[in-house]
Formats: sequence, C-alpha cells, structure tokens
Amino acid sequence: MTTTLQRPTLPPSTHEFAEIIHRLEAGGAMLPDTPENLMQIIGIYKAYAVPMDFYWRDLLYIAERVFLNPLPAFKYFLPQSYLDLPNHYAGETADLRVWRGEATAHPELLAFIEKGEVQKKLPKLLHHLWHDRINMEFAEACARAMFWHRGMGGQFDPYLDSEEYKANADRAIRAYFQGNPVMLGLYRLFPDLFVEQVRELSYYANLGLFWEVMAPVFFEMSDLYDEGKITTVPEAMNFLVNGIFAIAGRPIYHHVYIRGECYEIIPKSKGFMWLYEAALPYVEAVFYRTSPFRGTKSYNAQAREVPADQKDFHYGILYADVFPVGSAGIPPTLLMQDMLHFLPPYLVDYYQEHCRGEEDMLIQLGISFQRSMYNVTSAVIQALRTALLYPLDDPNPKHLQANRQFFEAQLDRFRRPEARLRDIQDQSYR
Amino acid sequence: MSSRIFLAVDPLPLTDSVKPMADIVDIAVNAPGFKTLVAAVQAANLVETLKSPGPFTVFAPNDDAFAKLPPGTIQTLVQNPPQLARILAFHVVPGKWTQTDLQQVDTLTSVEGSPIRIDTSDGFEVKNATVIAADIEADNGIIHVLDSVILMG
Amino acid sequence: MILSTLIWFPILGAIALALVPSRYLKWAALILSGSILLGSLWIAYQFDITQPLIQFREDLPWLATLGLNYQLGVDGLSLPLIILNTLLTWIAIYSSPEATERPRLFYGLVLLISGAVSGAFLAQNLLLFFLFYEIELVPFYLLIAIWGSEKKSYAAMKFLLYTAVSGALIFVAFVGLVWLQGADSFAYTALAGNTLPLWQQLILLAFVLIGFGIKIPLVPLHTWLPDTYVAASAPIAMLLGGVLAKLGTYGIFRFGLGLFPEAWGTLAPGLATWATVSVLYGATVAIAQKDIKRMVAYSSVGHMGYILLGGAALTELSLVGAVAQMFAHGLILAILFHLVGMVEAKVGTRELDVLNGLMNPLRGLPLVSALLVLGGMASAGIPGLVGFVSEFLVFQGSYAVFPLQTLLCVVGTGLTAVYFVILLNRTCFGKLDNAIADFPKVEWRERVPALILSLTILFLGLQPTWLVRWSEASTHAMVAVLPPVTQVTTLAQVLDRE
Repeated sequence: MTTTLQRPTLPPSTHEFAEIIHRLEAGGAMLPDTPENLMQIIGIYKAYAVPMDFYWRDLLYIAERVFLNPLPAFKYFLPQSYLDLPNHYAGETADLRVWRGEATAHPELLAFIEKGEVQKKLPKLLHHLWHDRINMEFAEACARAMFWHRGMGGQFDPYLDSEEYKANADRAIRAYFQGNPVMLGLYRLFPDLFVEQVRELSYYANLGLFWEVMAPVFFEMSDLYDEGKITTVPEAMNFLVNGIFAIAGRPIYHHVYIRGECYEIIPKSKGFMWLYEAALPYVEAVFYRTSPFRGTKSYNAQAREVPADQKDFHYGILYADVFPVGSAGIPPTLLMQDMLHFLPPYLVDYYQEHCRGEEDMLIQLGISFQRSMYNVTSAVIQALRTALLYPLDDPNPKHLQANRQFFEAQLDRFRRPEARLRDIQDQSYR
Repeated sequence: MSSRIFLAVDPLPLTDSVKPMADIVDIAVNAPGFKTLVAAVQAANLVETLKSPGPFTVFAPNDDAFAKLPPGTIQTLVQNPPQLARILAFHVVPGKWTQTDLQQVDTLTSVEGSPIRIDTSDGFEVKNATVIAADIEADNGIIHVLDSVILMG
Repeated sequence: MILSTLIWFPILGAIALALVPSRYLKWAALILSGSILLGSLWIAYQFDITQPLIQFREDLPWLATLGLNYQLGVDGLSLPLIILNTLLTWIAIYSSPEATERPRLFYGLVLLISGAVSGAFLAQNLLLFFLFYEIELVPFYLLIAIWGSEKKSYAAMKFLLYTAVSGALIFVAFVGLVWLQGADSFAYTALAGNTLPLWQQLILLAFVLIGFGIKIPLVPLHTWLPDTYVAASAPIAMLLGGVLAKLGTYGIFRFGLGLFPEAWGTLAPGLATWATVSVLYGATVAIAQKDIKRMVAYSSVGHMGYILLGGAALTELSLVGAVAQMFAHGLILAILFHLVGMVEAKVGTRELDVLNGLMNPLRGLPLVSALLVLGGMASAGIPGLVGFVSEFLVFQGSYAVFPLQTLLCVVGTGLTAVYFVILLNRTCFGKLDNAIADFPKVEWRERVPALILSLTILFLGLQPTWLVRWSEASTHAMVAVLPPVTQVTTLAQVLDRE
C-alpha cells in the first residue's frame, strides 16, 4: 500500500480565522502548538484536577446526602466515605482505567484538607471560616449556571419537567421530610418549591458525574507529560478526544440516599449519557454562556446590558476578561485560588519570571487556564467532527467541505469582539 | 413498492426464495462481519425487540465500523446496557424503508428519538456513514449495512 | 541655635553632598533631611503652646546700618509650616526615583530649598525674609528646568518671571514701610506697631497682597501655576504645592495682616470675595481638566482660597482654621502629587480618558488607587480626615462675618467632590484594559511616602487638637490686637439688600 495517494484539497478558507481553521483541518487545536503552551495547559490540568477531585465528590455528596437540608452549613465538610468513594475511571477497581493512580481522593488534596494553606492542623471549622479550603462555591456556581441556562441539548433537561421525574422527586421529598410537619406543610402549600430545588440538585449530580471523569483524564495527561509521552498540543488534544469517546456512554443519573434507602430520582436506566447529557451542556453553559459577574451588568431590560435571550450569553471562560480575577466574590477568583495551591513547580517558576511574578499569579494562571480550556474546546470540536462528520483525510471533497463548514460554524462563535481566541494565539497575552 | 432496485452485487446470500424469511436478528447472527453488533444487541437486551413483528429499518454498522471507534468506547457502553441500547436504538427506524423509499425523504426519526439525515443524491449516505449494502430484507423489516457507527447530534 | 540648624544644616549639607560617593547620595540626603525633620519635631516638643509670642529667639547683628540683622524666631503661625517643610523635604527626597539624573545637584538643590524656606518662615527681619524668599527661587527654577517633563524650560521661565515680580513687589512694600515709618531697622517687631495713615497702609498692603498673591497663587495671578506644577516632576510638584505656596499664605498673614491690621480690616470684605472667586474658579476649572496632574494643580488654586477667607474673616476660629488649612493642604497636595506621579510613572499617562480600572487587585495599582481615594476624600473635606478639620474651622469661623462668601466657598467644597469623583471614577474604577495593563509593580519602599502622608492625614483628622493647638495662642494674640472687622454683614442683611 502506498500513502502517496492524491488527496483532494479544498481552496483556502476565507474565514476570519482561516489560519486556525486550516490548523483544525490538519488535526491541530485552536491553541498554537508550542512547548510553552503545552507546558501551561498540562500544568493547569494538573492544578485543576486536584480541586476537581474534591468538587465531584462534594457535588455528589450534596446531591445524594445533604439533599434538601434547609440549613446546609456543613455541606462542604466531606465525610470520609465520600473521600474514599472509588472513582470509576482510576485505580484498580475502575470500570475503565483512565488514570493509573488511585481511585480514592488525591493525596495532595487530602494533605490540603488536613493542613490548608496555613500549613497547620487546626479545627476544620477554622479552616472553613478562614476560607482556607477548597472553594466549593465555584463548583456550585458551575452547576447553577447549567441549571439556569437549561435546554442545551440532550434528554436530561426535558426529563426534569416530565411527570415521571416529578413523581420520583415527590417520593424522595416526602421521605426526606418524613415526620417534619413544617416542611411537609410548606411542600403542600408550594408544591413546586422543593421540586425545583431537586432539579438544581440533579444538575449537581450531573456535574459531579461529569467531573468524576475529567479529574482522572487530567491526572493521566499530567503523568504522561511528565513521562515525556505527550509532547505536542495536538497530542494533548487527541488524548482528550479519545477520552471523550471512551467515556461517552457513562450513565448520568441522580440517586438520593435517605435513611439508608436509595431513591432513584433519575435512574440509570433512562439511558442518559455522559457525552450528550453532561459534557456538551457543560461546555455550552460554562465555557460559552454562564453569566456576567454579579453586580457588573444590569439585568434591567431597558438598560440593554445583557442579551435578551439566554442563548446569546457569552460570558464563559472562552470570552472572559481574566483581569478582574483577584476581585472578591467572583467565581473565577475562587477557582484560580484553588488551582494556585496545586500548581506544579515548573508553572510556579514560569509565572515567577513573568509580569509581576508572585503578585499576579492568579491572573497569569487564569490566562493559562483560558488557554487550556481552548484546548479542551478544540477537543470537543474535533470529537464532534469525528462523531458527526468525516475523517480529516476523507477522500471525498464534499465531506471535506462539510468538515470545513462545521469548523467555520464553530469558529463563528469566536468572532465576537470579547472572544479571547485572537489573544491566545500570541504568547504575549499572559 | 413495485419497482425495487437491488444492488448489483448482493453481499449476503439471501434471496426471496428462502422460506420462511429470517428475522433481523437471525440475519445478523448468520451473516459474517456483525459479531460486535450482535454482541451489543445481546448486551443491551434488544434481541426480543428486534425479533418482534416490527417492521423496522435497521442501519447496521459492521465490525469494521465498530472498530473505527476510539478505544474504550464500546467497553463503556457494554458496561451500561441502557446507554448502549440508546445508541443502538438510534440505528433503528420504525417502518420498512427501502433505498428507493429513502430517496423521497431527507430525515427519519429514529426509535431513540433523534433525527437521522439521509442523503441519496450521490450514493447512499446515512448521516456521516455510507451504506455499503442496502435493502437486505428480513421478514420483520429491512437492513442497510453501514461503514460507520452513527451517533446522535 | 536650634532654629539656625534648621536653615544651615541643610544648606551646608547640600554643599557637603559634593563629597559623598554617588551611590550613597540618596542615603546622605535622607539622613540630612531626616535629621532636620527630627530637629523641627524637637522644636515642636519644646514649644510652649500657651505662649503667643516669638520663641527660640535668635538675634545677631549683621549689617546694622542697612537694618538687616540675623533675627530668627518661631511662633504658632510658623511652627506648623516648619514641620510641614521638613516633612515634605524628606518625603520629596525619599520619593525621588533612584535613577534621577545628576543626583548630586538634585538632592543639593532640594536641601537648599528646604533651608531657604525654613529661613523665610523663621526670619523676624523683613529683609532677611526677603533674602531667603529670593534664595529659594533659583533652585526651584533649576529643578523644573532640568528635571521637569514636557515644556519644562517654558514653565521654569514663566515661574521665574512671575515669582521675580512677586519678590520685587514685596521688596517695594518692605522698603516703603521702613521709609515711610522712618525706622532704622527691618526688624519685624519694630515695624509691627507702625502708625502710618490708613491710605499709606492700604497702598503698601496692596503691594504685599499682589506680591504674595502671585506666589500662592490667587486668581487671576495664577496662570504660571498649571504649567509649572505639571512640568515639575512629582517630588518637586510636592514641594511647590506643599511648601512654596505656603510661603505666600504665610507672607500674607505675617506681613499683610500682621503689619497693616487696620488696612487689612478695611479690605477684608474684598479679600473674602477674592477668596471666594479663587475657590469657585479653581474648582470649576479643575472639573474641566483632562489631565489628572493639572486637575490636582487647579484644586490647589481653589483650596488656597479657604486660607484667604479665614484670614479675611479675622476671627479666632477662622485664623486657627486658616493655619490648619495651610498644613492640611500641604499634606493633601503632597500625597495627591505623589500618587499622581506614581500613576504616571507606572502607567505612563495622566490622561483621564486613557486611565481606567487601576483599582484592579492584581494587575492594577490597588494601594495607590486606595490612597488616591483617601487623598481625594481628604481634599473634598470628608469628616475624619484632616481636610475636614481645617475647612470646617474656616467656615465656622467665617460664616458669622461673611455669610455669603462662606456659603459660596462651601459650594466650592462640593465642587471639589465633583472633580475628585470624576478623577477617581475614571482612574481607579471601571475595567482595566487588557491591552495596556502591563504596569511594573509598586514596590513596598515606593509605598512608604504615601503611607506616611495618609496616616498623618488620618491621624490629624481624628485628633485635630494636635493640628490646631500650636497656633491657638498666636492667632488669639493676633486677633486681640486687631480692631474687629467692621463690615460685618449677616446673611439676613445680605438677603435684605437683594
């Protein structure tokens, strides 16, 4: 067999981002393939995976155990059973072993929970109040963003409005508030109140199950990079593409445990899948849409500061201005702060050398995070292309044209002025 | 349904003369190259359904099509029968749609619920897959063989 | 002797800097200016606040035939200004950039100014005052002309011409006084109780007012100020606004009010109106500025008006307020010029339309912005800060005498808030622009001057007795020897007249 077959070629794209489109058509990513970019994104994946290992566990804990607790003061105090909860994609017991490490909580995470940033073993409550802990508020903000936007494809979201779901939720609500006339009375007065809360918790479970997969994927990428087995940005992207396919079929469900009994609010048998019901809505909600930082935009319709239609929201990490990071009360600050604790040494050294070094590390790593999320988005785009369209080396020019149209349509979303796609092409954006 | 065009080369040794006609599952089991599909149908507990009177139109990916999926994809699906069943249900359409019938439509709605794009303008393509053998008749439906697994979206 | 030290230590130190190895220059200048700061504080410690008259008197015969003797002394009017001078000298030296060109000359000139300004504040002889007053001109001219920014030679020349005229007018007044009085000496005490007829006093006072009015400056004699302040580098602008302008107000009080009390009383209503015009003009022009340094410069024009208003009203309270305002304004203007200079140094622009979002916690200049807010608040007279104390005293003391003018000046304070809100809103708040936000970080040592100044502003705002107690006895005595201002008008009368 010979590989020098004449491959059909398309005329150059006339798109604004033609260069990036040609790169995607050649199997590359939106992020340019440089060793510096690779180091940044892999380092950030590692720093992201450690808090993420907490996020998914705690999201599931809140969705499954805390449930409708009206005063959930201790919802961030993860019990040992959830720290030991075996990840389905790491360790010996894995359904599919993505990461070669252990299935229980990551050792760096456990060390941090124990001593925190102050490097002292203090009562847990003090660490909590001093905010010397994993900022679960960020994870909750993501879950709420998914819940607020809703309707981003997949069958999960329509199911939340079905009679079947309401009946399932109703059973769990009645069981949870059994013997509590006040809450049951409230439920009778406002039948939608708790159901809506349960819907939000279903999204908590959804996101928890999504991140349960991403944490081992990122850990494995970091290990492969350290071992010299990932050497280019497209390799990193392709690892993610393969990961997306490998896990696509994992079930998305919402189980609640009340007094030792399991209530299946969304049973696994509904056939909801990680790819369609969690990953794609997550990317849409968190990478693209989310919402402006609280207090920065008026939602008054007359002010016209936010789009009239939620689907036109573009405030996600792919568009975000990372500069306000460090300001109080915005979710990205919380995430950057979490990642700061787990940066690999090579990234710490790298940030020390640029901009203001130690002082603005939160912003520098925020921009690396933006780069790494452009790489994840590239992986999603390539995965969708693989699933729904044609191979990059397809001999049929019509198929190649379809691929191009797909890429162009995807990149059209980054033509908005606030999109950071232009910025990340250049290393001076940091 | 009078003017039925068969492919020039029928890859499967099945003719109208074989009585009684086999159902969709039997055909897949007996034909070479559908091991993965048959195993998947069994894992997803869909054997009974596909043996029911139907009729169904099945877009059947062959073993090569499944092999093209990245590693692990099938493993995860086989571990989770409801999810696997959903993917398989996407390959099934109620009713009996021959290639000729399909020239009249752009999309079909699968048993799974999502639409399937049909393109007969230039060859016979179902979504991003190409039909490599069309109009294999069973007594409870019809089978078109695909070179790729098709996915919703 | 201690007073002479304040003058000659820095002046001789300036010469001694010639011998210091260049890498120790800044240290040497800091030690020199630091020790005179300590010296002035020691004087404050030793100062008897119950005593209204001149203290620490030094009297050496010099050119007795000319009536020029080396007579020094300090009272409640000059003591705060001495401390202000030594403090701002130290801060100006501290905050001058490491990479200053020709540092030997620079620090030498700053020290020379410090000695000369102290000499002017301390001189109890009119001619001696005049000498010191003129000596400080040349170093300022050089500091602007050599280390200034754009249009520096134009600005320096303009400054030199205006202040030379100012000096000439003052000299005429002084000589005229001695000549008309027939005195044989320029000693202040001898001339203070002059018995000239009112019309002669009025003429001499007019010379003094215009001469010092240029220095302060008062509208319409202020046109040199924006160019000069803007062209001067931040430490020099601090000294210009903080100290040099005070030489003008001090001169008006000491040699206008002090030497010609009757004439002063006659002119008081006009002076109050003049003050009001200055206040409103400075504030409204500041609102229109697009350059933050120019804005701060015009704010100075406005705020000097309060001092004149307090002096015109001639009540005990208003005079205490006026002296307090001299000190407060020195601190506030110094911190504002320092911070504006910091913004310019880090961001590279002073344009209101370009600056934005400096409050950004990681990439902006958060502490600089926060202190700029504090400086703006102090300047606008927000309670709890030193600006409030002095302005409130001035208004409280003046209202009974000049209600209309006082109320208009209060409006001027409101306008101050307007332009500072504009300045702070555009500069500190809003979104930092990614494209330009590559500022060098502010080192801790660069933060020291602004921190010292802001702590002083806050401390004196919360503990105003520390600010006013020095001058209470002296101002009390000044008012006691004066006839009350006769043109008392109440607001009711003013409204009746309308």
